[in-house]
Amino acid sequence: MAISRRQFLKRGGLVGAGTLLGPGLFGNGLLRQAYAALEANNRYFVVIFLDGGNDGLNTVIPADDVAGLRTAYDAARNNINITPAELTNSLIGLDPISGTQLGIHPGFNVPNDYFDNGAGAGGLKALYDLGKVAVVQGCGYPEYSLSHEEARVIWQTGVPLGPSAGTGWIGRHLAAQYAGNQIPAVNINDSIVGEFRQTGTSVLAVRDLDRFTFPFDENYPSDVAAKSAAFSALAQAAVAGAQPAAFFLGNTGLATIDATAAYQELSSNYNQDRPTFRQLYADIGRSMSTDLREVARVIWGVENGVPNVNARFFQLGNGGYDTHSDQGGAERNGQHYDLHAELGAALKVFYDDLASMPGNVANRTTILVWSEFSRRVPQNQNGTDHGSQGPMFVIGGSVNGGVYGNHPNIEDSALDYEGNTEYTQSANSFRSTDFRDVYGTILKHWVSLPGGTVQGLLPLDNTVEAVGDPDHYWRTADFDLGFI
Amino acid sequence: MADGTPLTLLHARHLLRRTGFGASQDEAANFLAQHPTRGAAATALLSYKPNGFKPGGRSFDDIHDKWIKYMLKAKSPLQEKLVLFWHDHFATGISKVFDVKMMAVQNKLFRLNGRGNFKTLVKDVNRDPAMMEYLDTVRNHAEIPNENYARELQELFTLGVKDSAGVDNYVQADVAQIARAFTGWDYDKVAFFKDYDHDYEADYPARGAKVIFQSTGGFGPGGRNFAVEAGEEGPNEIDAVVDIIFEHEDSQGKNTVARRTARRLIEYFAHANPSLAFIDDVVTASSFDQDFELTPLLHEIFVHDDFYLTAVPPIGAGTPKSVRWPIDFVVSSLRLLRMKPKGKYQYIDGGSYTRVFDQLSNMGQLIFDPPSVFGWDWETAWVSSSTMLARYGFARDLTAAHAGGSTAFRPDKFIDLDLTDPNDILTAVTDALGVTGDLSLAEETALVDYLTDNGANPSIDLFDYDVRHSKLHGLFALVMQTPAYQLQ
Repeated sequence: MAISRRQFLKRGGLVGAGTLLGPGLFGNGLLRQAYAALEANNRYFVVIFLDGGNDGLNTVIPADDVAGLRTAYDAARNNINITPAELTNSLIGLDPISGTQLGIHPGFNVPNDYFDNGAGAGGLKALYDLGKVAVVQGCGYPEYSLSHEEARVIWQTGVPLGPSAGTGWIGRHLAAQYAGNQIPAVNINDSIVGEFRQTGTSVLAVRDLDRFTFPFDENYPSDVAAKSAAFSALAQAAVAGAQPAAFFLGNTGLATIDATAAYQELSSNYNQDRPTFRQLYADIGRSMSTDLREVARVIWGVENGVPNVNARFFQLGNGGYDTHSDQGGAERNGQHYDLHAELGAALKVFYDDLASMPGNVANRTTILVWSEFSRRVPQNQNGTDHGSQGPMFVIGGSVNGGVYGNHPNIEDSALDYEGNTEYTQSANSFRSTDFRDVYGTILKHWVSLPGGTVQGLLPLDNTVEAVGDPDHYWRTADFDLGFI
Repeated sequence: MADGTPLTLLHARHLLRRTGFGASQDEAANFLAQHPTRGAAATALLSYKPNGFKPGGRSFDDIHDKWIKYMLKAKSPLQEKLVLFWHDHFATGISKVFDVKMMAVQNKLFRLNGRGNFKTLVKDVNRDPAMMEYLDTVRNHAEIPNENYARELQELFTLGVKDSAGVDNYVQADVAQIARAFTGWDYDKVAFFKDYDHDYEADYPARGAKVIFQSTGGFGPGGRNFAVEAGEEGPNEIDAVVDIIFEHEDSQGKNTVARRTARRLIEYFAHANPSLAFIDDVVTASSFDQDFELTPLLHEIFVHDDFYLTAVPPIGAGTPKSVRWPIDFVVSSLRLLRMKPKGKYQYIDGGSYTRVFDQLSNMGQLIFDPPSVFGWDWETAWVSSSTMLARYGFARDLTAAHAGGSTAFRPDKFIDLDLTDPNDILTAVTDALGVTGDLSLAEETALVDYLTDNGANPSIDLFDYDVRHSKLHGLFALVMQTPAYQLQ
């Protein structure tokens, strides 16, 4: 979608308002681009959060023992392990350093009869076979936290060491390049998620597009226009003032009333135009599929030029990954199997939906899947406790599919006293993938930001410990894992 | 000095709404007439006799609604504001505890000790069954220690991770040592100590020294040993740990617990990012760093100049306004409009006819179920399109409640229907909602334009049923939807 001159000027003007409140990172106006790169390239970016700590070791699994990983895996897990035979239909590439054949959990290869009417069959494995899934192994950060809250905040802010940023890693980009009530980002949630947090521009939190309507008193329909005008004027007045909280409330109010007007037709438009896909998401019938359908509805609106619907960034999440007990192995309907099937099927339908939209939206969309931590290498009785590094998925029509990063070293002797793999940047061993390298690759190659801007968005670790220990801390941003 | 400072009307209103649930212009004026100085006002507010109310019930919804009902009629709103503060500070959630009775017992503890002694309160929380469930004290055994409570006792309840200079207040070794003190505890209805499950067979020398704060905390490299005589561990040991934590000094030689607790209370009652001077002033003046009595500390906060920074317009870039909590928005609005939710399910009798429980859930704050042990995120974290739509909807629902009785909106109870001048009507409405002076000229103009349909109807007949129900009710809703009404 080309940017009109009017929009361009509007942005240029409003960015000034953002300067007042934007984070100090963007004090240098030269770093700020005059247009938003995702819009210029007509692209979308979707972030999916697996809430609770997804067990990475039962997500990407060693299928042979060429380097001893399989032996170590079976030693650590005696009843939730996935056997090589069970991985036969979900093999992916080789681990880059050890050459071990890897497989993804069989739940990702969704059976035809798992959801109604075969919805999402083949799942994530089918997308992998299309070459559209990058499996990025061993993602983590130094001084890992085992607290759900702390770890989630670290991943959402992109700041593991030192004081928390208070703003999200995507939020800092939004605050720098958008302003006012433009609504560049939507999360399918009740409140604004950590990735998007900032106070420079508006982000929508929507749980259900069908209920996203502005509450006017329906007893007096003739007065609705006057109420609407007054509400907007009040919000405008707050935005014109200098008090930061009032400014943010005013912007949120404007964005909300505009969006309820603009977004209210998205659901019915989509249902009418794309009944087959609407039903496939319903056939899966899980929150991951219905939430992805809301994203598809907004994208369909953007693609069709619905006025004031411009969102390019999306976030959604799914809970249930905190599998301390009854995690299950490869058996159908096991807890972890079912989560993987839900995610895999929903992503398959979403991808197919986007790919069949005019202009192949799948080629213009990148999806990032993350979790706040992986789980303990040795299992407990029938589940797993909190752990450290795990895999991320990057999915999209423009993604170079394959395996990236190294499988963590899960030899018993390599684990720390908690039983977790340790983060290391030492090049000659099982070098970990810093999650900020994944973020950086996406910001640089997908959002198309210059390296210096990316560096500003993802500050290096400058704590005393980090400076003194270059092998173990993130000191040089690489930003090119090659998956886009 | 500050005690004798005369209170003004806007200062009185600010004090009442920060320590309670909203204040109309009349309430503020009456309060001012009785308590003309800051000191007299603070003394009056803090002299309430703690009530032993406990929100009993069979389900989460039950105890939720019981507490809301109590807040709506509480004689001392400050008592309830403090219960809310401690509920957030010692965040404990029904979604892990499950037992509603235990949640109610903890709620009563916060009510009885809300303005008492902070050290005593922490010691009581150590033994609170809901907390023992929520932070796994009951799963902290000699052979398999669980560090959850030991960590949060320091990180969230007392010290904080870092002091105001950014220096670590404790290290992992301190967490592990304190976890030893808490092994062996369980509860039936009340907490009790099981000697046989206490620390004997841990990796540490049994009954040896238990030392904390060797590298931090102003105790020097020797740290402090909290071990007690054999056979005396139990309550003596977990109390000894708290006593040592309360002696902890930060990197600037100040009492760490005193500073952090004062900061949190200031952030709650006054504004975010208070100056260190404000914090140190109130700690010193109240001797909170000596005896940890909360009433004198709160008194000093309520009379301090900085407390009143946001009380009086104009509101500028540097005015540190605070976003009202959803619970404050809901309870204040109901109290100001003199309305009640309806029936067993406590719904608002108009608009979407939605339960208060669901309204608050949509606004992002379900009491008894904070999102995590970190409590709720405050300030602009309350604000999103989703949560604000819930606030806008609540304002609409209240003002669309047309049926009779105490669940209906009846503005004629406090608005003179003889008024016809739109400016007079607007002032009457902002007086009732306690925001007169908080709106900018542009906001007032927008509201007058709404009332008069941009000047088409310069005189308003409030005796006309439809005019009253569309325009006057609509004006109330619009004011409650303004950014200014969300701030204090």
